[in-house]
Amino acid sequence: MATRAVFDAYSAYFPSANFPQLLTINTTERIPALAFDAATVEGCRWKIIAPQGLTGTQTAIITYCMASATSNKVDFEVSVQAITDDDALDIDATTSFDTVNTITAPTVPGTAGYIDQVTCTLTNADSMAAGDWVVFKLERDADDGTNDTATGDAYVISVEWRDAA
Amino acid sequence: MAVLTDQDRFDTWAEFMRAVSDERDPLGNLSKADLRAAVNAVDTWVSDNTTAFNTAIPQPARGALTASQKARLLMFVVSKRFVRGV
Repeated sequence: MATRAVFDAYSAYFPSANFPQLLTINTTERIPALAFDAATVEGCRWKIIAPQGLTGTQTAIITYCMASATSNKVDFEVSVQAITDDDALDIDATTSFDTVNTITAPTVPGTAGYIDQVTCTLTNADSMAAGDWVVFKLERDADDGTNDTATGDAYVISVEWRDAA
Repeated sequence: MAVLTDQDRFDTWAEFMRAVSDERDPLGNLSKADLRAAVNAVDTWVSDNTTAFNTAIPQPARGALTASQKARLLMFVVSKRFVRGV
């Protein structure tokens, strides 16, 4: 597998409502993070041009830690929107994300602040091709009472995008 | 006194989780559903014991304070006890 991009908190952009708080953790190091609420589904996006040589199954690896929870599970979902040159989509007015890609919700680390990395297979990649203008949407599925059970914020540190190269 | 609406209980639950997140305050093995049940139970207890709480306040404070002020007074006392770890 090859890393195609690594997205961090500062490069995210946000919808007009229900988005994670951009903050820093570790009072000395001030590590940028995205704080996903435990009660409300929140999402953010990253944009990129799909690189040349893109091939095979793509995955998103989410690096996160919990603010205070030391047990139970957290659930994330990733959606992809790939816009090709001349596609009939007014990006100033609407979006066209493919079906959401889910993960097997992990049990959070036993110590708050310890990182965990969870992989989301991007089965639904909106027929992405090299050169497409691509948007990745990351959400915490906070209203899933079965798979998202950990209390408090989930701090997303980065998201790595890989393909099968 | 009526219990909080479901939306108010949800908001309380969400605000509590944000507060413990900001303070990095672990809640043991508690799940979100467990915590929500606790919020509901505390709200019900407050509702069930409103009369007893009011009776516990001596006059003239009982007569002079509004219901909102009495609730605020309780919040201050409980917060101070929390800070001291009582």
